[in-house]
Amino acid sequence: MSADVELSDVSVTFGSFYAAKNVNVKVNGGEFFSFLGPSGCGKTTLLRAISGFQEPSEGKVLIDNKDMSGIGPNKRPTALIFQNLALFPLMSVSENIAFSLEVRGVSKEERKKRADELLELIALEGQGDKKVHQLSGGQKQRVAIARALAVEPKVLLLDEPLSALDLKLRQRMRTELREIQKRVNITFIYITHDQGEALTMSDRIAVMNEGELEQIGKCDEVYNNPLTPFVATFVGENNPLYGKVTGIEGDKAKIETADGQYLATMNESKKLNIGDESIAFVRPESLFIPRDGDNFDNKIDVNIESFEFEGNLKNFYASLKSGAKIKFSVPNAIDTSSITSGSSIVLGFESSKSVILPKASLAID
Amino acid sequence: MMGIYIFIFFAYLFGPLIIMSITAFNSAEFPSITPWECFSFRWFNEGKIAYDGQHLAGLLSDWRLHDGIISSLIIGAGVVTLSVPIGMAAAIVLTQVRSQLRDIYYSISIMPVLFPGVIIGISTVVLWDRIAGLGGEGFIADIGRNGIFLTILAQTCFISTYCFLIFVARLQRFDQTQEEAALDLGASQTQVFFKILVPYLSPAIASAAVIAFLFSFENYNTTVFSILSDQTLTTVIASKVRLGISPALSALALTIIALTIIAAVTYEVLRRRAEKRYAESQEKFVKEKAADNRINKKYKAGFKIPKGITAILLIVVFATYGATQIVKNDLYGQSCIDAADKEKKSKFLEQLQTLESNELTDEELSGGSLGGNQDYGDIFGDPSLFQDFGGFD
Repeated sequence: MSADVELSDVSVTFGSFYAAKNVNVKVNGGEFFSFLGPSGCGKTTLLRAISGFQEPSEGKVLIDNKDMSGIGPNKRPTALIFQNLALFPLMSVSENIAFSLEVRGVSKEERKKRADELLELIALEGQGDKKVHQLSGGQKQRVAIARALAVEPKVLLLDEPLSALDLKLRQRMRTELREIQKRVNITFIYITHDQGEALTMSDRIAVMNEGELEQIGKCDEVYNNPLTPFVATFVGENNPLYGKVTGIEGDKAKIETADGQYLATMNESKKLNIGDESIAFVRPESLFIPRDGDNFDNKIDVNIESFEFEGNLKNFYASLKSGAKIKFSVPNAIDTSSITSGSSIVLGFESSKSVILPKASLAID
Repeated sequence: MMGIYIFIFFAYLFGPLIIMSITAFNSAEFPSITPWECFSFRWFNEGKIAYDGQHLAGLLSDWRLHDGIISSLIIGAGVVTLSVPIGMAAAIVLTQVRSQLRDIYYSISIMPVLFPGVIIGISTVVLWDRIAGLGGEGFIADIGRNGIFLTILAQTCFISTYCFLIFVARLQRFDQTQEEAALDLGASQTQVFFKILVPYLSPAIASAAVIAFLFSFENYNTTVFSILSDQTLTTVIASKVRLGISPALSALALTIIALTIIAAVTYEVLRRRAEKRYAESQEKFVKEKAADNRINKKYKAGFKIPKGITAILLIVVFATYGATQIVKNDLYGQSCIDAADKEKKSKFLEQLQTLESNELTDEELSGGSLGGNQDYGDIFGDPSLFQDFGGFD
């Protein structure tokens, strides 16, 4: 019952402003696919183009290989879960869930049966007569999902539906969403600015910036091998080291920075030449305090400035000789009592855990 | 200090209404409290039978008033059925208009409120007179000169604007994603309108209907022109006032006030009951969720003296004082009225006799030494002057 969704060269313009520009994506049937990007990057516009509220200015939206242009949102095999959920406050929970059946003229008994089935799916049995305002945040969330699933859509679109929930509930809903998706086995297209959400739930993600797709790939692929400095810094945290390429050895490049030379891995599709302005990225968790016997490709002298305790991790903020800032994380299990503010230490990292990319703008958090 | 201010404010607001209500129970022909003639309900019933059967009619026997009320009700119903949909449609359009046009559209929409009602009335009559003149005899000519039809149109002109404002206020709080959600779930535009928008707007529809009816019912300055040869309640009252106020009008006013108060109290009681039910359902929900005995404990509310007690006491004291005075001086019932009428008649006879005894000479009648009427060409002596006038009604 799932369907492929294909965006072929889709652009959406408002006046001279491109909300989305030449987007090409193919989402496979039954996949949990996320669009990840900062607010205003055009991901909601894309979702509205898929659901039919926004006709693309150029390009086509194909669902199940059928061109959707000119087909309104009420005629598409998609269901959208809104950011504010948009439950109908004047109707009961059951009426909300069965609304799509009611407008299709399904009989009352049938509607009740289907509503009860769906209430069971979302673990809200027997609560169909309640009003929407009597539900808690997480329950509303589940009702919105049930309402969207009532007509058995081929594609479910979710527009940051978890952003209004508190952290604990959000984490629980992530697992629940994933489970529901497996149970109903339809295509989920998820929109979020929260990379944690995208990484934990999705099969694949697409990172967007200013209306354009930066990278599409599996979660670990995008995290480990970012294609652009934007992706490198938007998905997870990354320390940029600016410099010039001074040497190339196979798939590795040597970069000369103000603080020394480092070796980093090049991306296959982003080959560099000697002399290119570039940035090497190293993640906070890939920076280690060397112990006896450790031998890292790269060494880096830092001066500890401050420290913060996150629970499972301890984050250190340090500065390099040139004044550049760097952050590194140490698991809580490791004893770091000897490291205090003002102390100078040497950190090491592997060239395989560092990527080097042509210079471009970073994501600004 | 605050109390005094509030008292003065309410006295200013309700003083005239209270005085007027009291005059409805005085049997005198002119609405007054002093001198008090007799306590009576006659202005609510037949009134005082006068030579033409209408001049001093009471509320029950005044057929002109009855006709006026009936046409006012018809017009009110017509105005409600026209202006509520028009106002709603205009408000919905406002939500769809792009931002640049919005202000202009809004200004144009509320303009009828700013026009003087007189102009709306006259222009409606002028327009429809032209339209009626186009088609010769027939349906158009009939409705074009039908006062009730024209009044409905003229009043709808500006009353639909009030409805528009009510709907705009409600729509401003409408979450438009609900419409999108319904569309996305497969509803057609018509279904979205009837299943999402109309239920949401239903409180606004109710209040717009009530306000439209009240505005229509009490309107005078537009109606007086557009009603042509018919009469509504307001125009009947106005024409009565021209001939001198009758206590029957006080009786009418009191009836309307009483109906308004009953309606308001009923509405308030129903509203509070619904609120209570809602609060109970919420409480039940919280209890279910919390499952905590501390919340389930009931607190008994102690007896409290209502805040309005002084006002109520004051009214009771005044009413008792008035009633005892009336009973003590035997100022009620048919016997009192008969006595008063008799006294008035004898006074009238006395005055007539005094006049007869002071008969004027011919010279005095023609102005005397001062010249009088003759100085103005003796116009009042000219018998042909008022020939065409037909005399006073």
